[in-house]
Amino acid sequence: MFNILKKTIKTGIITSKYPEIKDDVPEGFRGKPQILSEQCTLCGDCAAACPSRALKLDHAENETVLTLSYCSCIFCGRCEEVCQNYAVKLTREFEMASRTKDDLVSVIRRRS
Amino acid sequence: MNEVFDTVTHEFKSQILQRKVASNELYLTVENDAVIAICDYLYTHFDAPLVLMFATDERRTAGHFNIHYVFSFDNEDAFIIIRIHVDEAAPQFQTLTHRIPAANWYEREIQDMFGLTPVGHPDPRRLVMFEDWPQGCYPLRKDFDINSTPERVEGEYIYRRVEGEGVYEIPVGPVHAGVIEPGHFRFSVAGEPILNLEIRHFYTHKGVEKLFENLELNKAVFLAERISGDNSMAHAVAFCQAIEQIAGIEIPSRAKYIRTILLELERLYNHVGDIGGIATDVGYYAGAAHANKLKEDLLRLNEALTGSRLLRGMNTIGGLRRDISQDTILSSLSTLQHDFRGLMELLLNTPSVVDRMETTGFISQEIARSLHVVGPIARASGIGRDTRCDHPYAAYQELDFEVKTQRNGDVFARTSVRADEVNESMKMIEQALRSLPEGDIKTPVRDIPDGCALGYTEAPRGETLYWVMVRDGRIERCKVRDPSFCNWLAIEYAVLDNIVPDFPLINKSLSSSYSGNDM
Repeated sequence: MFNILKKTIKTGIITSKYPEIKDDVPEGFRGKPQILSEQCTLCGDCAAACPSRALKLDHAENETVLTLSYCSCIFCGRCEEVCQNYAVKLTREFEMASRTKDDLVSVIRRRS
Repeated sequence: MNEVFDTVTHEFKSQILQRKVASNELYLTVENDAVIAICDYLYTHFDAPLVLMFATDERRTAGHFNIHYVFSFDNEDAFIIIRIHVDEAAPQFQTLTHRIPAANWYEREIQDMFGLTPVGHPDPRRLVMFEDWPQGCYPLRKDFDINSTPERVEGEYIYRRVEGEGVYEIPVGPVHAGVIEPGHFRFSVAGEPILNLEIRHFYTHKGVEKLFENLELNKAVFLAERISGDNSMAHAVAFCQAIEQIAGIEIPSRAKYIRTILLELERLYNHVGDIGGIATDVGYYAGAAHANKLKEDLLRLNEALTGSRLLRGMNTIGGLRRDISQDTILSSLSTLQHDFRGLMELLLNTPSVVDRMETTGFISQEIARSLHVVGPIARASGIGRDTRCDHPYAAYQELDFEVKTQRNGDVFARTSVRADEVNESMKMIEQALRSLPEGDIKTPVRDIPDGCALGYTEAPRGETLYWVMVRDGRIERCKVRDPSFCNWLAIEYAVLDNIVPDFPLINKSLSSSYSGNDM
């Protein structure tokens, strides 16, 4: 009993005040991928490399659409790796919970 | 190694149809009538355990199914793979379970997935596919379309019954309290002591081996990584090593060392988590809290090193995708060592904890050997098998470490083995960091030729095996054997004569994965 008390006091409080105080993730964290639309050429390399088919390239009648669904993303970073235009980046964002699935989709459209 | 290969080949010369040696694997295609005798010879004469058994559907290319029996020769770092052909017209093979009990689940799995019947099997009930799955529908046959949805049918699973005055059944699960996966445990008890336990798993069969078929190789790494969530590294490395073996790729020395470090970090957080789980299940929450704190420290270290708490996304065929900074680990290693010592003192100096663990959940060496129990569970029953030592991979050959064993086979022994392994792992990480070579982390990979090979690692739960066959740059067949597939049945023996309240503790001390088992 004495040992437990001693150890408890020595350890102190280690939980943090999250979410009031932001929790920082380290450099290199595999978080929410972001597509920079100015740099994206809609070549489709990322969609071809994506193992979970979270990224899809669709050719409609007069536009090309790249869809990224965060519902199926596994944060592997293959998109970032294969993109020759540095248009995809894994960010350090991890607070991605949402009430609707629409918030979990990122779309880039371009007329062709 | 060659000596063993030659002895076996010579002994059964007349029954061998084809012989092929690839690195440390000897493939012997034999007459169907001879297979039981040959397997029995390897098992009894050489003490070679049956580590894996699986089927392949090669009707399109060769006109028949193949069944493979993989035996491990630990002293020679070799594998002998016995192969038989099975025709579609006569879809059956002789059971091996009577001679080698470890064949039990493999044969039933083959029966469910390929429709090949093990003739004479002592328990021919379904295993992976449940009774609502229609007859004559075999998912791993190549003509089964992955997008099809078979109709559900009526059916009933018959449990073994223990009858007698005062005997009653306690069904537990498949849905459990807490966030764990489903599994059914049916106890027959007389008062508190357990007379019999029958487990039923495979409630969440995901068709992983079917998903592997025709998958591009570099995408398959991510699937392998997710088979058993907390053994990601072990699965990913085993898969990559199988492909690297097929292609004859030698990965850079730095990549070997980093893989080793990450594999040991995976062992650390798993073992510490298991020790914390044991503390919870004996009702010692102060100990559990300290273990969880330490586990969190380890997960954060993983995150700082790899960007992922569960060490994901690091492996690729030919090496690694990211380098690591060695300062990050070195600075925290001594604190972790110190904290772990404190945690074990806290647990082992508490008599009520030790009392719950000692003599509880006994697994004899004989049972462990017959069922081919692996990993810390086997080592706690006195079986000194460890893939890192018996079939060295990554940088393990260059490290100095001991395989820790215990003899008592109870919960205490399993906890002690894990604690010893944590200490060994920390030493190994330190060694590997001190001699971490400079250089590339990835060998450029060209086209992967057709072929097949085994990949293996010692996951925190034990021996993990992959047998991969590549055709035209895609996966033709990927057989995955998670350690839990071998270890689950041991619980039916471990609980005998124990009381029901000790079941959660025994279950935790075995720490088998539902996900790795229910593929």
